[in-house]
Amino acid sequence: MTVNDRAMRSLVEESQDLQVDAMRNVELCTAELREVGASRAGQEIDQDEIRAYALGRRKLLKAGGFGIGVLASSGLLATGFGQRVAAIVNRPTQASTPVDIQIFQTASSLENLAVATYGAALQLPFIQEQAVVKTFAETTMMQHAEHSAAFNAQTEALGGQRQDGTNPKYTPIVEEAKPTLTDALAVAKLAATVEEVAQDTYLANLTLVSDGQKRLLFASVMGVETQHLATLRAVIALIEGGAPQLIAIPTDLAALPAAAGSVAFPAAFEEPNLASPPEEGALS
Amino acid sequence: MSVEPTEQHNDATVMERDDQTGSRRGMFAIAAGGLAAAALAACGRPQRETISGAAPAAGAAGAPAARPVPRQAAPPAADLDIAAVAASLEQLAVDTYGAALDAAGSGALGEVPPAVGEFVTVVGQQHQEHLDAWNGVLTASGRAAVSAPPADLAASVNAQFGMVKDAAGAAQLALQLEQVAAATYLDAIGKLQSPDAIALAGSIQPIDRQHISVLLFALGMYPVPEVFATTAMAYSGSGPMPAAPMMPETR
Repeated sequence: MTVNDRAMRSLVEESQDLQVDAMRNVELCTAELREVGASRAGQEIDQDEIRAYALGRRKLLKAGGFGIGVLASSGLLATGFGQRVAAIVNRPTQASTPVDIQIFQTASSLENLAVATYGAALQLPFIQEQAVVKTFAETTMMQHAEHSAAFNAQTEALGGQRQDGTNPKYTPIVEEAKPTLTDALAVAKLAATVEEVAQDTYLANLTLVSDGQKRLLFASVMGVETQHLATLRAVIALIEGGAPQLIAIPTDLAALPAAAGSVAFPAAFEEPNLASPPEEGALS
Repeated sequence: MSVEPTEQHNDATVMERDDQTGSRRGMFAIAAGGLAAAALAACGRPQRETISGAAPAAGAAGAPAARPVPRQAAPPAADLDIAAVAASLEQLAVDTYGAALDAAGSGALGEVPPAVGEFVTVVGQQHQEHLDAWNGVLTASGRAAVSAPPADLAASVNAQFGMVKDAAGAAQLALQLEQVAAATYLDAIGKLQSPDAIALAGSIQPIDRQHISVLLFALGMYPVPEVFATTAMAYSGSGPMPAAPMMPETR
């Protein structure tokens, strides 16, 4: 793979400057939530909130959300693995913790998982040797760390405990996959799964969180995870198509096969098929 | 060169689009049992190319997904206003990608790389599906379907399209359109009240962000330059094309 590493790093640094405005929005949102959290301190859990969440969750489950539809369609639901996942998914929300806090804690757990996954990938010699892939892994890991920090800020502003651990459902799956990471394709496929779970979870959260500010944060982060996913889809397709040399910046646009123009967005609508339920990464 | 409603381009795919429009409208009209119909509609879509030349397996990652059936509940008027703006932006995108296809077909853009041609074709179809979805929301609530782009934005895009001489220039204009659409959806997600409308906007915003990544890569830029998506380029419903902080210099 070829790369103009200096040019790409310059582009990345330049783009990071654009985050000042975005972070300002997040800080405003956090300040607002901190006030809400303070006003809620010592109050009982809102049972209406729990009921509203449970209703939305049941509808999502009916529509195949939280991964159940995927498990069923792939025949995995009847297996031991599928049953364990179904047990986690079907576990009711914890009535002792506000739903929004659980949602933010689970989101942080997924971001921490992504950080750990890219961190593990960066330990692999073949990733270190490929400048484009290495830069992508480093940059994406940094972006996920920022997302985790943003979600933890929201959790703490609401009076909850920050989640610094990795997602309990997917951590063992990633650990089991590590010995199989023998080339860039395997790494890209694992990373794409992690990104898709995050994207789908935040998509599902849009109709579960209690107000527009929280929706805005989830949609903002979802918009970046989906770009990671799109990039990885293209990378996977180019490797599988026998054209890894085209994973390069500057781009050899004329040499790209036609499918490179559409492989990153296989459907006109994204669906929360792999969404994690709010309690999956919540702290009790 | 200008961006007008592209009847010629639409004619080429009119049967396919009628099918998609019918399916989308049907999804909004049928509450129960619609998922299977939507899945069938998705199965009926044309196969797209893969790098290796093989079609993606049904149900595999990368295969078209069926949208879950939205519940039938009348959205508040403010939501319908947002839906109308979203539909008008989608119409602008459909018209622009249609005009780009026509221009490419006539040779006005010079040699068009295969990946660019595929991008314009597929993305134009996806925006048509988005338009149909929003028009389904509007008509189900008794409002008229939107069939015209925002006049001020269309005038701005027309002026820029007139200066496009090659595929890279078309990609730059497409990037700007996608950035405006994605930012507008992000802004809308924070404002919408109806869960169905929120879910629909949430299912489309990622697609526009995916389009942005491919365009950035095509233009030689890093495909995921932001840590957080912002509303900086959101369209308010009136005014000229919002500024594009991520736009590279015109080639």
